[in-house]
Amino acid sequence: MAGAAEATRGEVRVFAEYDRDFEEETDVVVVGSGPCGAVVAHQLAQAGRRVVLLEEGPPFIPSEFELEGSKSMSRTMREGGLRSTRGSILPTMQAIALGGGSLVNSAICVRPPEAVFQRWATGFDLEITNRETLDRHYDEVADFLGIAPTPEEVQGRRNTLFRDGCDALGYGSEPIARNVRNCRGSGECFTGCRNRAKQSMDISYIPAAIRHGARVLTSVQVQEVLREGSRVTGVTGRVAEPFSGRLGHRFTVRAKTVVLAAGCMATPVLLQRSGNLANRSGQVGENLQFHPGVAIAGFFPEPTTPQFGATQGYQSLHFLDEGFKLETLWAPPAVMAVRMPGFGHPLQEIFADFPNMAVWDAIASTHKSLGRVRARRGTLDPALTWHMHPDDVPILKRALFVLTEIYFAAGATKVTPGVNGVPEILYSRDEADVLLNHPIQASDLVCGGNHAFCTTRMHGDPARGVVDEYGRCHDFDNLYIADTGIFPQCPSVNPMFTGMALAHRQAEAILDRT
Amino acid sequence: MVAGPAVFGRRAGLRQDHRFESRPERLCYGRVVFWILLATFLAYTIWRIFLGYPQPRRAYRIVAPREVAFLEAAGEATFPAGGAIPLSGRDADLPGYADGFLESLPRHLRLQVRAMLMLFEQATIFFPAPGRGGRRRFSSLSEEQRVAVLDGWSRSRLFLRRLAFTALRAVLTMGYLGHPIAMRHLRLAPLDFPSPIVEADLLYPAIGARKDSINWTEADLCESDGTPLDPNGPIHPSFRGDER
Repeated sequence: MAGAAEATRGEVRVFAEYDRDFEEETDVVVVGSGPCGAVVAHQLAQAGRRVVLLEEGPPFIPSEFELEGSKSMSRTMREGGLRSTRGSILPTMQAIALGGGSLVNSAICVRPPEAVFQRWATGFDLEITNRETLDRHYDEVADFLGIAPTPEEVQGRRNTLFRDGCDALGYGSEPIARNVRNCRGSGECFTGCRNRAKQSMDISYIPAAIRHGARVLTSVQVQEVLREGSRVTGVTGRVAEPFSGRLGHRFTVRAKTVVLAAGCMATPVLLQRSGNLANRSGQVGENLQFHPGVAIAGFFPEPTTPQFGATQGYQSLHFLDEGFKLETLWAPPAVMAVRMPGFGHPLQEIFADFPNMAVWDAIASTHKSLGRVRARRGTLDPALTWHMHPDDVPILKRALFVLTEIYFAAGATKVTPGVNGVPEILYSRDEADVLLNHPIQASDLVCGGNHAFCTTRMHGDPARGVVDEYGRCHDFDNLYIADTGIFPQCPSVNPMFTGMALAHRQAEAILDRT
Repeated sequence: MVAGPAVFGRRAGLRQDHRFESRPERLCYGRVVFWILLATFLAYTIWRIFLGYPQPRRAYRIVAPREVAFLEAAGEATFPAGGAIPLSGRDADLPGYADGFLESLPRHLRLQVRAMLMLFEQATIFFPAPGRGGRRRFSSLSEEQRVAVLDGWSRSRLFLRRLAFTALRAVLTMGYLGHPIAMRHLRLAPLDFPSPIVEADLLYPAIGARKDSINWTEADLCESDGTPLDPNGPIHPSFRGDER
């Protein structure tokens, strides 16, 4: 890569430095600095292309991280962390920060099994999106970010108890591979890693892209993609004040190639607000899928010291064929407490048991549960609708049952399943049968939907999808999409790694074509 | 068929009688009653929603006295004194927490959260507490009545009522468990440890500042040594005091 050595060092611009309207011209403009956008920006800058990376949120440094759950969410998440779908109510969070979701996720990197790609290939006319062709891209991203299984010394008791329970029942489990270097087990992944161990994009790919000449403009909100005839020509928008979102100076970035990496929610909204761009298929904003998640808490006779250990250190892929994946979990106590039953002294007694608690969760592949993303007037925040299909509810019921089973196998004395209509506390494995036998409806479950997909899905047939297998829009040959919106279906495992591998491949395709 | 003059005359006559004899009196009486009822209703509504609340013990930027009264009442019912944690909902300064939380939200969400607080405060009209005076505002109910009202929301057969309760309790719980006293008691307060200086720290200033405010240089660069943290180590300074 000759350009790499010769490139002038790039720079970051922050909110305080915008004092007038401005225009820029570049080879490639990337909208969104999350895992996919950061990878594309880095790869192209490394190859010598002039790259401008745009991000609506600000960069965070450790002193800016709020340790209290709600304060952290209101600063780092869109709509203060209170975004949710209509239809079936599902809270969903998207980050607004340099580095996107990687700043406040738990760094899980999992390659989906071959079966997922086979499903994608047959259902969506895909030819080159499989483990064999993608493994090279996974490997390169893994090398760059130091992705490795969580080491034993920072697992902490609440993670190893999960392993013990799985072992006792004969269920497979393994340490979660994460983009983390030298983790100290602070359990603060969701509020920002003060230890700078998590290789979020703001401290990994983005500084490297800047070293290779990329210009990173933060606190800028892209409002429209510009087009002339059959090509897009850049983007335009306004400077946005951190947290308040107040809009200021106008800007335009003209580019030969535009990459939208604004996320599964914002990218379709941006296309819709740009004159329903790239939507000859009618699929922009459609097919919204999540991995609905349920989390339950178990309480043990001995302390679990839950504040110590990797945020999510252990997982089980044993039940992927049944449609769910199991994980350990930690978050600020106030966030974990939201799911606890009751109020008054009984609730305080449950809180007092937190030092003996472990929380584990399941994420489900609910392929029949679909929704859509629509632009709203006067804002870039999307209107989301999503409906849990009745056929998908049994997957979550079964997942709750299995989690409860693992708790009791690991020695828990009580479990709080958090399901309406069943006992608030279960005291034995036998009592857990109620989770299978009780007629649970979707509205009885308290679910969260943090992974979102498919709103600009890839499809081999231009009439049925928005982008091709390289993320290039079928309708415009210089407009690309690089985020989880291009997944044809939910991947059954955490999506960040696959998104980055696809983005890595996309960057090579852009280099080949430009 | 066209109506003849006689028909019109009879109809006109009827209308005349009605207008000038019995109807005006009825109308007048009816209007007076209507306006009295409307004025009473409006006065009651204004009083019920806005008036009669005690002045808060301290000033808040966002939350109004009615919201302070509700949050203190709901906090006390949700986290009563004498429980397993030596901090009651009233002592946890939930209005102070809500004030900061609301301030950090976008305007439309702030309105939604405040509407939710008002809903719980006023919904005793439709879902009264058991006992005498059960339709009073939530914050005016007795301790037992408040508990009964919250119990009704949490166990409702209506999904939206349960959802609203979950949302309210989430706000209260976030404020309660975010309090330093609660966190210290549970031994879950974040630990204090130094953050390594990485390449990114030479690039990004504090939010709102300019890059020339960055004081780090390449000589300061270091990285995490990966030593597992001691869960019994010193806690973060922001959780050492007794106030949030």
